Amino acid sequence: MQLIGVDTGGTFTDAVAVTDDGRVVASKALSTPHRVEAGVLASIELLAAAVQQTPEELLARTDVFAHGTTVGLNAVLTGTGATVGVLTTAGFESTLAIAKANKVHGLSEEDLRRPTRWDKPPLLVPRRRVRGVRERIDRSGQVVEPLDEAGVRDALRALAAYGVDAIAVALLWSPLNPEHERRVAAIAAEELPDCHVSLSSELAPRIGEYERTCSVVLDAYVAPLVSSYLGRLHTALTERKFGGTLLLTRMGGGVQSVDAARRSPVQTLRSGPAGGLAATVKVGAALGHPNLVATDVGGTSFDVGLVLAGEPGYAARPMIDRFALAMPVVDVTSIGTGGGSIAWVDPVLGALRVGPQSAGAEPGPVCYGRGGTLATLTDAAAVAGYVDRLGGALELDVAAAADAIERQIARPLGLTVDEAAEGILAVACEQMKDLVRRTTVERGHDPSDFALLAYGGAGPQYAGRYAEGLGMREILVPAFAAQFSAFGAIASDIRAAAEHDLAPAPLRDSLDAVNAAAGRLAASVRAQLDLGDAPLASEQQVIVRCRIGLRFYRQVHRVDIVLPDRTIGPDDVPTLSAAFRQRYEQVVGPGSGATDSTIEAVAVSAEALLPVPLPTAGVRHGGTATPHRHREALFGGKRQRCPVYAWDELGADQSVPGPAFVESDSTTVVVHPGHAARIGADGHLRLTTGARP
Amino acid sequence: MTLDPITFEIIRHRLDSINDEAATTLQHVSGSQIAVESNDLNTAITAADGRVVACGRFILAQVASIQLVVADILARYRDNPGIARGDQFVTNDPYVGTLHQPDVVLVAPVFAGDRMIGWVGSTVHQADVGGPTPGGMSMDARSIWDEPIPMPPVKIVEGDRIRRDLEREYLIRSRTPQLNALDLAGQVAANRTSIAALLRLCERYGADQVEGAMARLLAGTERQLRERLAALPDGRWRHVAHLEYGPDPDGSPGGAVYAVRLTATKRGDQLELDFSDSSDQAGGAINTAFPALAGFTMAAVLVYLGGGLPWVPGALWPAVRIVSRKGSVVDAKWPAGVAMSTATVAQAVRTCVNVCLARMLDGSAEHAEHVMAGCQLAGGGGVVLSGQADDGRLFAGMTLDEVAGGGGARTFADGADSSGPTTSPGGGCANVEVNESYLPVRYLMRAELADSGGPGRLRGGVGSLHLLTPHEVQAPVGVLSFGQGLQHPGAMGLAGGEPGGSGAFAILGPDEARALVRGERVPLELPVPGRDAALAAGDVHVAVSQGGGGYGDPLEREPDAVLADVLDGLVSRECAASDHAVLIADTEAGPAVDSAGTEALRAQRRRARLGGREPRAAVEQPPGRRLSATLRLDDAGATPVITCARCATALCRASENVHEHLLLDERPARTFAPLGFGYQGADRFTVRRFYCPGCGVQVDVIPARRGEPLLHAIDPR
Repeated sequence: MQLIGVDTGGTFTDAVAVTDDGRVVASKALSTPHRVEAGVLASIELLAAAVQQTPEELLARTDVFAHGTTVGLNAVLTGTGATVGVLTTAGFESTLAIAKANKVHGLSEEDLRRPTRWDKPPLLVPRRRVRGVRERIDRSGQVVEPLDEAGVRDALRALAAYGVDAIAVALLWSPLNPEHERRVAAIAAEELPDCHVSLSSELAPRIGEYERTCSVVLDAYVAPLVSSYLGRLHTALTERKFGGTLLLTRMGGGVQSVDAARRSPVQTLRSGPAGGLAATVKVGAALGHPNLVATDVGGTSFDVGLVLAGEPGYAARPMIDRFALAMPVVDVTSIGTGGGSIAWVDPVLGALRVGPQSAGAEPGPVCYGRGGTLATLTDAAAVAGYVDRLGGALELDVAAAADAIERQIARPLGLTVDEAAEGILAVACEQMKDLVRRTTVERGHDPSDFALLAYGGAGPQYAGRYAEGLGMREILVPAFAAQFSAFGAIASDIRAAAEHDLAPAPLRDSLDAVNAAAGRLAASVRAQLDLGDAPLASEQQVIVRCRIGLRFYRQVHRVDIVLPDRTIGPDDVPTLSAAFRQRYEQVVGPGSGATDSTIEAVAVSAEALLPVPLPTAGVRHGGTATPHRHREALFGGKRQRCPVYAWDELGADQSVPGPAFVESDSTTVVVHPGHAARIGADGHLRLTTGARP
Repeated sequence: MTLDPITFEIIRHRLDSINDEAATTLQHVSGSQIAVESNDLNTAITAADGRVVACGRFILAQVASIQLVVADILARYRDNPGIARGDQFVTNDPYVGTLHQPDVVLVAPVFAGDRMIGWVGSTVHQADVGGPTPGGMSMDARSIWDEPIPMPPVKIVEGDRIRRDLEREYLIRSRTPQLNALDLAGQVAANRTSIAALLRLCERYGADQVEGAMARLLAGTERQLRERLAALPDGRWRHVAHLEYGPDPDGSPGGAVYAVRLTATKRGDQLELDFSDSSDQAGGAINTAFPALAGFTMAAVLVYLGGGLPWVPGALWPAVRIVSRKGSVVDAKWPAGVAMSTATVAQAVRTCVNVCLARMLDGSAEHAEHVMAGCQLAGGGGVVLSGQADDGRLFAGMTLDEVAGGGGARTFADGADSSGPTTSPGGGCANVEVNESYLPVRYLMRAELADSGGPGRLRGGVGSLHLLTPHEVQAPVGVLSFGQGLQHPGAMGLAGGEPGGSGAFAILGPDEARALVRGERVPLELPVPGRDAALAAGDVHVAVSQGGGGYGDPLEREPDAVLADVLDGLVSRECAASDHAVLIADTEAGPAVDSAGTEALRAQRRRARLGGREPRAAVEQPPGRRLSATLRLDDAGATPVITCARCATALCRASENVHEHLLLDERPARTFAPLGFGYQGADRFTVRRFYCPGCGVQVDVIPARRGEPLLHAIDPR
């Protein structure tokens, strides 16, 4: 079995291959935003070169090509998606525009403090392309007013006049009774046969019309672009002799077939973080860590995700950019502290601040020499000697970075350049530490139950500082840290999922509704997992699991509990209730599940999993490597000569005391004084941070 | 003790982070819809004296509560019952610190060793805290004895243990004890989380450094605020906001009129906000006690004056002096009732501060980016629904639909449509499906309301219309309306922009409701809501939240922007012509601006304002300094004069009330009512438009009580 994973990010396209003879290779190419598949193919050419093959030879022998893409996300962020038309229940055409009257959700820190900048998220569909149709279903799913089918046709024709190329349908209470939405879809297929149609009852069947409407609009907005991209990519791969299965990363976890991705393209929107978290789950399972914190330092953000009891956390109120969603999305929290974060002096408070403004990738940090003039976090790292190359190629202009820090930070604060650089690093790493702490420790979890993973190109540079003193069980820099999201794409199970909200009622009164929904959803996800004419090796067993969504009466937090593989009866109520309380405390915090409130059943979900077999990498052998070079670096106010080790040369369990560096082609691990690094036989690097609080 | 810039920044960021985490903890543990969906809560960290150094961004007016509650505890409880490590105090007393009885505050001291270094605390709005009526609000309360009786600060957590006796005493008052218990648990957990995190911070950097960072945040932010004040021209600005409540002594069916009157005086780097001339207090319900006055005033100062400054409310107090008269409607004396203050007088307070500060900022081109016209008043259109469902269960709840009103226009952008009050940035309305889940009602409509945004060069955000009817309930559904903003507009325009449309409350039959759904106007003369309002089967409840105020003369709005609003249904064709003098023609390519017709209509309007005279031309560089976007102060001559910023016509001496020297055009306030509605008592109010006698530009628009003297709104002395 041979697998390739490719993850397209904002700056780089990362690729990992696990060949059928057990070799694991990685590559990194520049992303090509205007013709995304070019960057993907470039990364494959690099992979092929690494195993001395042509791309055709490599692809011809590949069984699975798993891919995460930013095509849809870019369209959302740049406002270049489809011309969408919306059909909704007449009288409620303003749902999207009213946006629950919230004008600050998802705003940047900077804008939050400027009330004249408070505004709703931009409308992906202008009001004129939202049409109401006469129909009404009530809170128990009963039809109060039948669907006005002639009105649906009129509305579709009016939208056609606007040249819409995708339709989003969100009718009130459709999760409880999808009949009207399905009928609208049937009529749309007659009236506008070439349009993508997104139904809220299929895509996001959760109660709460605003988030559901947002979900179908986002889905429709990216559908034509994602679909066309997937078509082009598939053709390009086929032309290069690929005959295996193409899979796409889902933001709801796992990977899915191309057909499934075309049906719900919104699932492709957050592939990078989803891939990273999927890989974290796999690494954690292999190492026996059920609880992990996944951390990633990018150019413009620091992302933190949580794995609890072997499962990725799901966001309670998921959002993409500023758009709310009504579907499970793996929970990754971000702050705008990244390599491009700009350092500045707050003259009134006399503080050295970092961010939230960012130089981003363009013009980027001063040391990139691409026109950036403002000192950034990366410039501080360059001045400190923690990084001296970019992506293995570009030399950094350290003198220019030092000059910017001198003029903009050091002089105004009366510090030396070295003090200012270390100050910038300290402030930024404390911001990162604050976020790690907020997502774990302060939710009541014991940090010694967690391992922390640092990945991405820059995570290993800073992890020693932001993970220090948190009391984590272990700090890990995984093998292929820099291509971790791509690795996540191939480490993911193929997954189909569906869910269905119930009219909230006490658990003991909901058993029939739960059994009926579970049966229907289980059949549906099993069918969705059909990979068509490119099936995987059939020895794999499809696993189907159903869950029940429970919550305390009138509470907002829903917790999903696995249902037994049979119909449930009154005897199951105590077991399910106990499991709910236990998981509630895991997710919400100790002591929170002790209330005597009624437990309500509010949803049923099902998932089908087809595990993708992952060949194990070769075991690293022992021995003691010597530094392959030395370089000057700044630690604790002193410049000192520090050894630099090559990641690939370190022997298993060789301990490298700080100050030192361990570098691979695409990442550098900074080992601070008092810390130590060690690569295990499993190929992952552990940082030990000593006793400093 | 020296605090280096790096350590200071690390501690500063950590304080914000700890406070945000407290809010998350609270929301997690509580899980209630009010706390989680509507975000009707806030958390804060204070210095040892109670001044707030870190606050959340939800309901800003609640933040001042924490400071006043801490001050009360420090003043009264040091010896008995004592203030010690592990203690937490709960209160919902509006005369001590909360905004009104449903807001429950829980504060806890933070001790580093033996030294008290600060406090942490939170406020959460409760569904019910007891008293004669569900939800705790009652229109006909004669005093606080007809309202939920407040609980002064009580040490409910002692030695880090919840006192079960006091917890029972607190919960027994409520009709929703389960929800209150969860919120209390959330608040206790949030305080514990914050304290533990603050102590870790003290361990790492030393308590001195943490205290030093708090002091520096307060001092530095105060200095920044004072610098902003000093950079603005000195002057005086006035505003009056009216509200109606209870029987009118003169017998008007519109109810008695209360006025909140503010004179804002800025001298150098000091601001004084004087409410002394406000009406005497009412018996019940609508008054604010001093804490709510201070809470809403400081929240408004933070939002309308502090844009871009650090979010440190404790730093505002030294630079901003609040003056009020005990026994007035804004500073009520015990035992006046105050339970509905946040939806009534407090909104008027907020509006007065908003308008005066916006006028002050508008006097400086450099600071005009912070100017915002008035947003909706939260009370307009708000209701509590209560009754008995068919399954026998009692229900009571707010729809919160009223917070989908319009935001005020800015100097560079229209107001945010259907975006809610500016001082509650994190608040919002619930999904229709969520409201229908818990209240036996079915919505017929929830829509942005065309023509409700205040016309202007930049228009105010539109408000919204909500129609609902009883569903699966035989018994009548009781409707308690907050009843404000019906008889006159409330969201002020600026610089010649018009006020936003007023709110509405009505109970209609199905036929009239169907006409509204079809988008028709339904001319009706309606009574103001009474205490017996109820929905029988088939009745339809109508609520309209106000639109936001506009900025600048509506005749100067870009015709293309008006066309876009028409295409998006935010402005009707009729109002495009009547409000903005823009004519729209149907062409083969669809609707388009009739440029020639628009030009001609606008010229005709300006002439009409001048009684038929030709308007003077605009002047490129008018003399003097900016007094507002529409007026200038020219002190080149012996006597300083106020001139028109557009045509430079001299209007009056600087010492005179310029509004007395502008052309006055008075229109009935009821023209601002939505849907063709009219309310009894509305004829007592008027909207005054002021034009420059030289060029006819609309300089200002001020709603007023008919016959009252012209307000000296802009006073450069």
